[in-house]
Amino acid sequence: MKRLLPKNLVGQLLALVAFTLLIAQAINIALLYRGAQNQKMVEASVSAVVRIAGEIERIDERGFRKPRYRRDGTARFRRYRPSVTEESALGAGHKRLSVAEERAARAFENLGVNLQAVKVARVDTLPLNMKNSVIGMRGERRRLRSVGYHKESDKIDGFIIISAQLKDGKWLNIASAIRHNNPRLIRSLLFQTVVIYLILLIPLIWLGRYISRPLKALTQAAENFTPGSRALIKEIGPPDTKHLIAAFNEMNERVGAMLDEKDVMLGAIGHDLRTPLAALRVRVENIEDDDERDRMISGIDDMDRTLDDILSLSRLGRSKETAEKTDISALIETVADEYNDMGADVSFTRSERITADIRATLIRRALRNLIGNAVKYGRKAVISVDKTVNKPDDKLVIHIDDDGPGIPDDRIPAMFDPFVRAEQSRNRETGGSGLGLTLARAIARDHGGDVVLENRAEGGLRASLILQS
Amino acid sequence: MSGQTHILLVDDEATLREPLAEYLTKQGFRVQQASDASQARSVMNAFNFDIILLDIMMPGEDGLSFCRHVRDKTEIPVIFISAKGEELDRIVGLELGADDYITKPFSPRELVARIKVVLRRTTNGNGLQPGSGTIYQFSGWTLKTDQRSLTDHEGVTVPLSSGEYQMLLALLSRAGQVLNRDQLLDITQGREAHAFDRAVDNQISRLRRKIEADPKNPEIIKTVWGGGYVLAGDVKTL
Repeated sequence: MKRLLPKNLVGQLLALVAFTLLIAQAINIALLYRGAQNQKMVEASVSAVVRIAGEIERIDERGFRKPRYRRDGTARFRRYRPSVTEESALGAGHKRLSVAEERAARAFENLGVNLQAVKVARVDTLPLNMKNSVIGMRGERRRLRSVGYHKESDKIDGFIIISAQLKDGKWLNIASAIRHNNPRLIRSLLFQTVVIYLILLIPLIWLGRYISRPLKALTQAAENFTPGSRALIKEIGPPDTKHLIAAFNEMNERVGAMLDEKDVMLGAIGHDLRTPLAALRVRVENIEDDDERDRMISGIDDMDRTLDDILSLSRLGRSKETAEKTDISALIETVADEYNDMGADVSFTRSERITADIRATLIRRALRNLIGNAVKYGRKAVISVDKTVNKPDDKLVIHIDDDGPGIPDDRIPAMFDPFVRAEQSRNRETGGSGLGLTLARAIARDHGGDVVLENRAEGGLRASLILQS
Repeated sequence: MSGQTHILLVDDEATLREPLAEYLTKQGFRVQQASDASQARSVMNAFNFDIILLDIMMPGEDGLSFCRHVRDKTEIPVIFISAKGEELDRIVGLELGADDYITKPFSPRELVARIKVVLRRTTNGNGLQPGSGTIYQFSGWTLKTDQRSLTDHEGVTVPLSSGEYQMLLALLSRAGQVLNRDQLLDITQGREAHAFDRAVDNQISRLRRKIEADPKNPEIIKTVWGGGYVLAGDVKTL
């Protein structure tokens, strides 16, 4: 049942109203049908009463008809005339209708006909001896004969039999067919239902959309919520919804304000840490001992990089830089050259030109981190680019392979956690904040891609930077 | 320009400003210090400066606003020294007409080199000031100096290292002029070549890989035998 229900508000509203309307109309139809049925029965009784009254009048004037005979001697019955019997056609086996009897008796009285008794009953099948004393059939008579004088669902809804006892004790019996309800009644009611429903449909759809449209907008806004975007949703719809939207907008605003505050704070931290670091860096130049000086410089550079990583990580997704179509090969070359200039073994053979929409500063940082890891832990980095043209999900994968010991498979997922490093000791010799991979993956994901690590079959680790191309 | 280069150093942090001034003095510069923009203004009225080193985040009037003021009044080159390292801040600074941008913490040697490069560009470069929003168009490429971005005819950005950028800029601003290795080093890095210095050749070959259709048969940056390098083809300056 649940599966059949429409999924959205408008659909459910429409289904509910349709269902309710149908029930109401069904009750309506049933009531009307019963009323109409009663009406038909009364009609049938009235014609029967009139016919009997007419017959009695005729008998009073001219006496009983003698039965006529055909040439072959069989009796010829008059049709549509009450039969005259010594005993009532209605015996004990018939269920009599007392209300109708009273009504008929009163009718006879009004017509000035004196009777000893009146019996009225309703039957589904006409007793055989009354075949010639049935009225209210019009053109259906022949048809009726062929189907056997009984209730037929679409034409005849049974018969009313009235049996009236004359003063001399004889009975006049007549059957009157209760004609079936006009099937048009039901059809017109159904038509009516449909028309009402269609008329209701317009305001219902309007109402549904009035309620659901702002909700849909709100849902979408919540799903695509980018912290601090501060895109306000229009406050439309019924008051309840308006309040909800207003509250959402306010929340969005608060989140934005909080993030702005965070940015300001991070900026201040960055500034307050970088300035003394810069002062230190200048003073270091005064140190005479070359080795000592170089060690201190590398220490300061390390601190700077860590600070940079932390700041970029916490600011990611709030970058003001816009994505631009960039030559990826040239970008990789630039980073590879940087490392080669520092004496690292980084190789990249460019093939065809590959472009992608990226924020170059960020991707450069991700590449730097991945190549830096390869050089640091795997002695060298071999970079290759795979482009899968597999529309619509084109992917660009930059592989960075190293010659190192790799990472145990079960440790790989943890490598992406902040401050986790390949070697267990937080050994400063190899440098790094332990944020490199975390940041690289965050940057890739910010671009709709990812970073994946795997051990190569031939030894060494392969880091793959996946981008949408 | 005669005698010592006169530098105005504007930074509110005495812990950085003082040792830096000391270092620059040791390197043979004459240095005036100012701890904020208003002090810098008054010092500027009293002396003539060859270059201004300017911090961005300062209490009171910030470096960006002061830079605008300097640009309106004078032609003195400006190098920003800032703790803000985001790419966008860099672009904003350069768009304001600053000649270079260096982020804290920096190597003082690097700073000196940059000072020399900027001075070379602004004083010897036939009045050229490529720092302030010049756009070069050559052989289908576009180099925007305010963003330091190189794009091809399809609008695809080709990332350059800062060395490559300086090299390309040096060649572009002197298009058709043959420059030898010493000149190029001097212009781009403010230093003299050591014996067997491969720095220039390295940068050139990297640059060629990025911009030449066939790096082995260069059409844009041509080698002049015995002489050096020259940027061939038409260069439009916007």
